[in-house]
Amino acid sequence: MTGERLRIERMSVRFGGVAAVRELSLSIAPGEIRGLIGPNGAGKTTVINAITGEVPMTQGRVLLDGDVVSGLPAHVVSRRGIGRTFQHVEPFGELSVLDNVLLGVGRHAPVPLFHAAFATPLARRGEASAVREALGLLERFDLVPYRDTPAAELPFGVLKRMDLARALAARPTILLMDEPTSGMSESEADRAVAAARALAESQNVTLLVIEHNMRVMMRLAHSVTVMQNGAVIAEGAPSVIQRDPAVIEAYLGEEAADAVR
Amino acid sequence: MRAEASRATLLSLIGVAALAAGGAFLGSYAVYLASLAMINVISAVGLNLLTGNSGQISLCHSSFMAIGAYASTLLTVNFGVPFWLAIPLGGAVAVAIGALLGAPASRLQGIYLALATLGFLQIVQIVIEELASVTGGVRGLIVPKPAFAGARVSEYGRYLIVLGACALAVWSARNLMRSRVGRELDAVRLSRPAAQALGVAVGRVKLTAFALSAAYAGVAGGLLAIVVGFIDPVEFGVSAALRQITFIVVGGMGSVAGSVVGAAVLSALPEALRPVKEYSDLIYTLILLGFLIFLPRGLVTLWHAGARRSRARTFAAAGEGTP
Repeated sequence: MTGERLRIERMSVRFGGVAAVRELSLSIAPGEIRGLIGPNGAGKTTVINAITGEVPMTQGRVLLDGDVVSGLPAHVVSRRGIGRTFQHVEPFGELSVLDNVLLGVGRHAPVPLFHAAFATPLARRGEASAVREALGLLERFDLVPYRDTPAAELPFGVLKRMDLARALAARPTILLMDEPTSGMSESEADRAVAAARALAESQNVTLLVIEHNMRVMMRLAHSVTVMQNGAVIAEGAPSVIQRDPAVIEAYLGEEAADAVR
Repeated sequence: MRAEASRATLLSLIGVAALAAGGAFLGSYAVYLASLAMINVISAVGLNLLTGNSGQISLCHSSFMAIGAYASTLLTVNFGVPFWLAIPLGGAVAVAIGALLGAPASRLQGIYLALATLGFLQIVQIVIEELASVTGGVRGLIVPKPAFAGARVSEYGRYLIVLGACALAVWSARNLMRSRVGRELDAVRLSRPAAQALGVAVGRVKLTAFALSAAYAGVAGGLLAIVVGFIDPVEFGVSAALRQITFIVVGGMGSVAGSVVGAAVLSALPEALRPVKEYSDLIYTLILLGFLIFLPRGLVTLWHAGARRSRARTFAAAGEGTP
C-alpha cells in the first residue's frame, strides 16, 4: 500500500492528430474527494475513459492501490474496483430500474449458466440475494417507486440517481463521476452532493468528480485539479484554486464573477 | 408478483398437458405439422437470445439446425447411438461450432456480422455437398426411425418428444432471461460502455449468446431429422435463415413469448400458402418488411399495450397514478 488509491503517471491520449490528454499525472489518496475541472474540451472525460480502459492510452500508466491497471480490458478494470458514472447516464433503456441496478450487483456471486437455465436452487438463492442487495440500493437512492419502470421513461434527475446506484452496486473502491449534477435543479444537486459526501465517508469510497458547477465543487471536493488543453494547470484546495489567477483566466472566464461571489 | 408468476406456471403446465392430450386426437398430418411448428419454436427461441437480446444479427441460424440434424443422424447411423442421446449430442456439436464461429463473429457488428454469418452458411452448405460420402450430399440423408428399448417410437410418441423438448426450451430461455445471464445479453445490446463499466465481459457474453443459440438450433435440427425422417440440405439454406428471422421479428425481438408466438403463427403460413408455394419467399419477405415498418417490436407489443392499458385502468380505479 502506497497511501495512494489511484495514481496516474504521465497519461497521454491521442485521437489521430489531436492530443486530448498530454502527460497528465495525478495522485488520489484513499477516501479523498478530488474534483477535476476545466473548460469544455480540456480532456476531463477522456481521462475517465482512459482510466477505465474504454479508450486506449498512447502513453503512461494507471495504478490502483499500487497495481498497474492500464492496458487491462475495461470489464477487468471495473472488477478491480474502479467504477464510473456517465454524464449522459448510458442507461439500459428497455430494462427496469431494478434490472439496471442488478447488473451492477450480481457479479460478486456469478450463477453458472447451467444453473440459470434450469432455475436450480443455487440460481434462485443467488438471484434472491442479488435482488435484496439491489432493493437496498433502490431504497437508499429513493428509487423504489420506479423499480419496474423502464429506465428510458425516467426523468433525467432520477436517471442520474439510478446511474449512481448502479455504479455502487458493483462495489467500487474508487468511483469516477462524470458531471453527477448536470441536468439537475439546484436542490437536486445539493442532495446529490450530500449523498456523494456521505458515500465517500461511510463506505470509504474514493471519488474523482468532474463537475461544471463551481459552487458544487467548492462544497464537495477536498482538492481540485484544473485541466486545460489536456494538461494540468493547477492543483490545490478549492478555496485556493478559486482565487488562482491562471485558473480564473483559463477556465472560469465569464463564470468567474459568479464563482467568486 | 409471486402469485402472478405461479399462475403463469400453472397456465403453462395446463397448456402443455392440453397439447399432449390434444395430439392423441389429431390426425397424422396435423400431428406432423404441429411437431414442425414446435421445432420452429425451439429454433426461434435460440435465435431470439442471440439477435433479439444480445443484438447480434445471424444469417446462419439454419446452419446450426443442419449441424444438429446431420451430427445426430450420423451418430445414429454410424455408431448406433440411440436418438435420445444423439439429439443432445448433436446439440453439443452445434454449441462447439457455434463457439468457434462466435469467437471471431462477436468482434463484428451490423452488416459485417450479417456478411460473416452468411459466409458461414455457405461454407456449411458446401461442406454438406462436398462430403457426399458421409452426408449424402445434395441427395440428402435418410434418417432411421427412432426406437426406444427395441420398440419403434410412434408418430404420437415423436410428437410428445418434440413437445417436451419445446417446453424445456421455452422454460429454460425464460429462466435465462430472468437471471443475470439474460440481463447481460440485454446489457450488451443496450449499452456497451455501461455494461463494461459494470464488469460485464462484453466479448464473452456475445460468444455465450452464439453458443446458446446454437444449442437450441442444434436440438431443433436433430428433432427435425427424426420427425421428417429425411434430411434435405436445401431446407437449411438462406431462405430458412430468413424465415427464422421473420419468426422473431413478427413475434417480438428479445421476448421469449415473441419467439413462441411468431414461430407458431408463421408455421401455419406454408399451409395457407400451399396454392401459391412458389411465392412463399416473397410473402415471407413482405411480412418481414411490413412488421419492421409498422410493428417493429412484434406481436407481443400488442399484448403489452393491452396489459398496460388495463393496469392503468386498475390504478385509476384504485385512485392511484402510475409512477
